[in-house]
Amino acid sequence: MVTTESSGAAPVAVEERLFSLVLALLASEAGLTKNEILSTVQGYRQKYVFGGDNASLERQFERDKDDIRELGVPLETIEPLDEAGSNHHLRYRIPKGAYDLPADISFSSDEIALLNLAALAWREGSLSRESRHALLKLQSLGVDSIEPVLGYAPRIRTREAAFDPLTDALARRVLVRFAYLKPGDLSPRERTVAPLSVVQHEGRWHVRGIDQNVNEPRTFLLSRIIGPVTRTRISFESTDDQSAETALAQLDEIWQRNRAEVDVRANSDAETRLLKRRGSIRAADARLTLHFTDLHLLADELAGFGPEVFVVSPPELRDAVRKRLELTVATHLTPTPGRQTGRDEPHERKEQSNAEEPA
Amino acid sequence: MPKNPPNTTSFVHAQDKLAFLLSLVPYLLDRDRVSVGEVASHFQVSEEQVREAVRLIAVSGVPGETAQYQHGDLFDIAWDDFEESDEIQITHRVALDDSPRFSAREAAALIAGLQYLQALPESLDSSVLSGLMAKLARGASEAPSQVAVARAAPSESLLTIRSAVERGTQIEFDYVSSRGDREHRVVDPLRIDSNNEDWYLRGWCHTRQGIRTFRLDRMADLTQTDAPNTYSPGDLSLPDTLFDGSGETQGVVLEVLPAAVGLLGEYLAEGEPQISLGALTQVTVRVAHIHGLKRLVASLPGVVRVVDPPEARLAVHDWAAAALDAYAANGEDPAGSAAAGRPDPA
Repeated sequence: MVTTESSGAAPVAVEERLFSLVLALLASEAGLTKNEILSTVQGYRQKYVFGGDNASLERQFERDKDDIRELGVPLETIEPLDEAGSNHHLRYRIPKGAYDLPADISFSSDEIALLNLAALAWREGSLSRESRHALLKLQSLGVDSIEPVLGYAPRIRTREAAFDPLTDALARRVLVRFAYLKPGDLSPRERTVAPLSVVQHEGRWHVRGIDQNVNEPRTFLLSRIIGPVTRTRISFESTDDQSAETALAQLDEIWQRNRAEVDVRANSDAETRLLKRRGSIRAADARLTLHFTDLHLLADELAGFGPEVFVVSPPELRDAVRKRLELTVATHLTPTPGRQTGRDEPHERKEQSNAEEPA
Repeated sequence: MPKNPPNTTSFVHAQDKLAFLLSLVPYLLDRDRVSVGEVASHFQVSEEQVREAVRLIAVSGVPGETAQYQHGDLFDIAWDDFEESDEIQITHRVALDDSPRFSAREAAALIAGLQYLQALPESLDSSVLSGLMAKLARGASEAPSQVAVARAAPSESLLTIRSAVERGTQIEFDYVSSRGDREHRVVDPLRIDSNNEDWYLRGWCHTRQGIRTFRLDRMADLTQTDAPNTYSPGDLSLPDTLFDGSGETQGVVLEVLPAAVGLLGEYLAEGEPQISLGALTQVTVRVAHIHGLKRLVASLPGVVRVVDPPEARLAVHDWAAAALDAYAANGEDPAGSAAAGRPDPA
């Protein structure tokens, strides 16, 4: 158990301090000042020094406030009217009406079953703790879930390291900076973006936001973000609550417009799987028409099918697939190619993965 | 400390424990009196976690008028029932009685998860689903973060499989393996797994007499049969990983860009050493044959490379070379010169 360091008295567990803080702030309609909190609330009071230096305890309180707010608890700050500008007498409180789940919100057993699966889908990696917390709150309503007849184990995986900092910046409404490799560029360029939404389309994650350099909305593919995403402290305002829908609609428009024709080997893995892709049509015996959002991502996929797929059109796609195949041949020649060849691969790849920015 | 029973989670962070405490109190108040075991199974936690939380709730409260946490300022429980018969009843409550709202990120995770699940036959029709999402948004303390997953059409294969499970019958289909063989399979469906846009059937394969995992998009001519199944969901325990390569003997050594190691997915067994070679990482994966792996490697040129054994490297080489032959046979020059326009396919 994690405990706070304590002098003499029995140590108070962190969760006890957090729980006590929530209870104290919920109970106080007028709110409590920081001094009142530190001197009276369980977990702080044990370490409070009257008339002394409580700087480390104050920092502790700041971190606790963040932890509590992250859980969706509406911890408010009230500034006394007559003392505007002075933060010495700021009062903290949790208005019960804003804390409680509205009384008219209830969920049926079917809905709970589906929400359980929705939370289960995030059980690994990104948003796993958020979905676990959401599940606890749903369970607090005491509704029993109906088990689906057929068991499901859905999984949403976010392999891109950019996902967490971007969704975090979404919630905090702060600008982010990242290096982005645009189509045709040989090196990434730094972008500053006000992130509005993060969407998954055809299995790929994108972020849509206002690119600060051009002051216009842009959509970026997360897998083309190179290196870390830096969260700034610069906050922004946005009234665009349709950003996710707009981003998905635009990506879908691109997907509709882009068509590729490929010939597939009869009864092959490529034929079976490509036919099951959304929107695939068998144009002739062996020929399929496919829709796609990003030519280079489709080229990666098609190259994996090897001789089972022959790209007919567009020529840019055929070229892209052939380049990939040539690279695979070159890096798998026998006898073992020299180490040096292997080391060069990342650079070649960089040029290849440039593709159209989706927007 | 007792080991957690299966399907329970334990809380690592104090914040997780706080979320549990804030959820547990309104549940207990609502239930009046409930056993520790029932609470544990409802919240999918261990019984000891429930007891620990109840002990903490019972000594917690508000500073109160005296700022001294007097008796009436604290929660209280029926201690005798708790200690003697493992039952919980809150006899005095303070400050807290209702379920908490969701945070912006929590609501976003649930909403995006629901969108993702639209491929399932259990999903609701879109108007009911929009209503549910609106309810989650209203139940959040701030507007949910805009995280969205594109709607997927419900899969017909899933409908067929689900109906077979309901009727307790076998299904049959042609399965094209990564080797390229097409084989007829008879299967008792047990569970549907997914991994982003890839969907899998876990089932008892009568053809192979064992538990197997099938990609839904590799199945063709899927039909229900009238033959009763041997195993129903729940009869057999399924491993959490889709593919288990630990019994396979063929080790294939790969060089991967460090950022792309995750793309190897389930090929990479947990705990497998990753050796850094400067710009590249070297890993060994275990496979029954090279045919699935060669497809993955060919779809990640310049990102993953087979190093050893030579026959595996050759298999990848030949796979790509055979594909290039088709373009050469079509009278095309090497890539880069094909910008001339659409070829006239032979």
